[in-house]
Amino acid sequence: MKTIATDPAISQQAEQNARVARELKLRQKKRERQARFLKHIFLILVSFVMLYPLLWVTAASLKPEDEIFGSLGLWPSSFQWSNYSDGWNALPVSFSVFYINSAIVTVLSVIGNLISCSFAAYAFARLEFSGKTFLFGLMMMTMMIPYHVVLIPQYVLFLNLGWVDTYLPLVVPRFLAADGFFIFLMVQFFRQIPRELDEAAMIDGCSPFKVYWAVIMPLSLPAMATAAIFSLIWVWEDFLAPLIYINDINSYTVPLALRLFVDQEGQSAYGQMFAMSVLSLVPVLLFFMVFQKLIIRGIATSGMK
Amino acid sequence: MKRFFKRNSAGYMFLLPWLLGFCLLALGPILASLYLSFTRYDMVSAPRWDGLGNYEYMLQKDRRYWKALGVTFQYVFLAVPLRLAMALGVAMLLDKGLRSMGLYRAIFYLPSLLGASIAIAILWREMFGIDGVVNQILATVGIEGIGWITTPETSIYTMVILAMWQFGSPMLIFLAGLRGIPRDLYEAADIDGTSRGRMFWCITLPMLAPVVFFNVVLQTIEAFKTFTSAFIISNGTGGPADSLLFYTVYLFNEAFKFFRMGYASALAWVLLIIIGIFTAIAFATSKYWVHYENDRD
Amino acid sequence: MAQLSLRNICKSYGDIAIIKALDLEIIDGEFLVLVGPSGCGKSTLLRMIAGIEEITDGTLSIDGQVVNDLPASKRELSMVFQSYALYPHMSVRKNLAFGLQNLKMPRKEIDSRVTEVARVLQIEPLLDRKPRQLSGGQKQRVAIGRSIVREPKLFLFDEPLSNLDAELRVQMRAELAALYQRLKTTMVYVTHDQVEAMTLASRIVVLRAGKIEQLGTPVELYTKPANLFVAGFIGSPKMNKLAAKVAELDGTVTAQLADFPDLEIHAPEQAGKDITVCVRPEDLEIGSGEYQAEGSIKLLEYLGGETLIHLDLDSGQSLLIQDSTKNQHSTGQRISIGFNMTDLHFFDRAGLRFECGQAATA
Repeated sequence: MKTIATDPAISQQAEQNARVARELKLRQKKRERQARFLKHIFLILVSFVMLYPLLWVTAASLKPEDEIFGSLGLWPSSFQWSNYSDGWNALPVSFSVFYINSAIVTVLSVIGNLISCSFAAYAFARLEFSGKTFLFGLMMMTMMIPYHVVLIPQYVLFLNLGWVDTYLPLVVPRFLAADGFFIFLMVQFFRQIPRELDEAAMIDGCSPFKVYWAVIMPLSLPAMATAAIFSLIWVWEDFLAPLIYINDINSYTVPLALRLFVDQEGQSAYGQMFAMSVLSLVPVLLFFMVFQKLIIRGIATSGMK
Repeated sequence: MKRFFKRNSAGYMFLLPWLLGFCLLALGPILASLYLSFTRYDMVSAPRWDGLGNYEYMLQKDRRYWKALGVTFQYVFLAVPLRLAMALGVAMLLDKGLRSMGLYRAIFYLPSLLGASIAIAILWREMFGIDGVVNQILATVGIEGIGWITTPETSIYTMVILAMWQFGSPMLIFLAGLRGIPRDLYEAADIDGTSRGRMFWCITLPMLAPVVFFNVVLQTIEAFKTFTSAFIISNGTGGPADSLLFYTVYLFNEAFKFFRMGYASALAWVLLIIIGIFTAIAFATSKYWVHYENDRD
Repeated sequence: MAQLSLRNICKSYGDIAIIKALDLEIIDGEFLVLVGPSGCGKSTLLRMIAGIEEITDGTLSIDGQVVNDLPASKRELSMVFQSYALYPHMSVRKNLAFGLQNLKMPRKEIDSRVTEVARVLQIEPLLDRKPRQLSGGQKQRVAIGRSIVREPKLFLFDEPLSNLDAELRVQMRAELAALYQRLKTTMVYVTHDQVEAMTLASRIVVLRAGKIEQLGTPVELYTKPANLFVAGFIGSPKMNKLAAKVAELDGTVTAQLADFPDLEIHAPEQAGKDITVCVRPEDLEIGSGEYQAEGSIKLLEYLGGETLIHLDLDSGQSLLIQDSTKNQHSTGQRISIGFNMTDLHFFDRAGLRFECGQAATA
């Protein structure tokens, strides 16, 4: 039982109305498409500006020396691949050593972070103990403390321990959950795992450590991966701590080597300097491209309370 | 006593690494730093008690200190609002569910990841140098550029631009926040005859207030801690005529170049207090402009 | 007051068509309920009327003017959302005033309207509270208040009572009915609950998969459902369905059921075909009726004022009986159940209603 008006005059009016409506809609669609097009243009421009420094440094690493500051175009007239090979060996110690050093420090730091921070996060998120809220508050506050405040006493401490000029001051703090940010990230994640799983495991006779190992950890791989990646990138790029603690050039990490390069060769070998800069960014870029989704999700979820 | 152990042992066992770290690497050093700030200490001989000597010097006689403070504050008050404004603006553009939004998000975020690296700092220095690409681009529109970094008046702005370049990180957080605003609030407002502008001011911003607050606090603390880029761009000196003498750079030089550890500790503590005061103010005023969805009154 | 005309309305998301060629006239001042199962398109239809969903094809006219292109803000209607959509950071007072401020109304008039509406809905003590401090029912009232205060010519409701608990729903239903009596403005109301539809509507539209199955008053839908779907959807407890075959013998047409005596019907065109005979649980009588059959009780659901009896017939089909006689029965008991011809609804093989009966009413 539909209620279409069967009066022909009204039907004709309806037809006309339909035509008007369709025309209006087409016009609106066109406007929407234009607006979207403009938005894309704007975003593409911004993207170009954002990426330009990276494009420029890559181009500069391959340009002949006089073109680096001479010409504006991004495409080198001839590709100076030698910048890379020469730069690699320009310092008294080859960059391979520096890369290996950085790798050692980074891998150890990541392992340390994952273990110690997940322990602490598990305690804060899942276990009951007196003073928990207070200690959690303290942990959150440590994230606000600038490294410079603890820098000097830590240096004195490590000096007295004889740890200066080793990697110990860089790596050991990671095993002591010094990075509150990762604890926070993991706590947020753990809180989303239903407590019933823990409870079921405990009823089944698991000790707290077993629950940690068999229940929480397997379900937290995304959080662990996110923490690992951020940890990796930040340790790789870390400059201040290696600057203070490492004096022997053979133990330099990549950032220190790069700075030395600038100091020693900076004014004369721009091409090589840029080539080495590009190379130092490559690991970070690679990790970013592979783990992009995880990284972005990690930032978004840790940012929201 | 035994019961206390039974109940709490698991928690404390897991917390042990952090507790150890906290005492040895945070609490201890903070207190030691406080102590050292009242001494003169050059690492060669033992610390000598000096009372408030360091603080007096800092606040009354040390011109460079006030310069460092000024440079740092100038940077913070320029870089943070500009960076957040860009982050919010782009987040709102991206929020409308464009295709290839994921790609844009990744591109805009990338600089934030790289920003603290030394390679970028080196790059920035060369880009803004007198022969740098920035001047080359300006030349194409007929503007003659100067050495942006070597000129004291303009050097700080290169740092501000570097900060703005890294808007990706707060942008992601704004995006997540925008997504959390229920769509039917906008629909209800639309039916109620609300203009786009009013929707932004009366719905989007207030609903975003917790996220804005979070970003403001986080970004400001990070801005106060800026070191690597300032150090490299100014070549470790604090720039032409101290125009890039960030607080952290000044501190570092006092400690590891001139070995005035006691004074550096005093500097560090004052920085801590500044950050603390700022955070306290932020939290105190937040009651008036931040609304949390899940509070129970 | 608004008269709405929907002609040939189509809605699709990409290639998936939700609504195809729908026509509907909404009469000025009526309370029209759009009811149907999840996914039938009722909410989509409402949102298209509101202007927050795009109309893929067809025309929507309000008071004779085509409004497909008119933005929601200019349509002078208001909508109550299922989730209430109250602005969480504004007080109740500000929530109510928000829409009026868009109209650039003078402060005094806004205040007087807000106070009046708050009085009518009895939410005056809540005016300075924030939404998070309100209960579900209170939030619902504020949402309704926000829609009233603008004095629109059309009210839209999108499942407003779905988030309330059962008791509150009954109460709010009565308040909505009273509101309609008071305002007498055109209201379009979407729900999946047929009880709300039957009690509130002046006319009901039953929708399924984007098509109108039947449009009529509650009485019409109850007494003369147009097809099997409407018959099963309207009325609680659900309609009983019995399979039957129509046979013709010497000019007499009968519908042959498995357990009951043959029914003599005047429907020669259905001869030889399978049909469905339906009867409502409340129309079945125990131990009496023109046509009776026996069955055993499988399950008893005692509700106090009535009992729902699940009966297994010998053929394997089952019947649901609503028994208000307060007689005691027990599971497994064999009883006799019957109905009268006037209580029956007949549906052909395609599920469409056809009329027949002993008095020749075609």
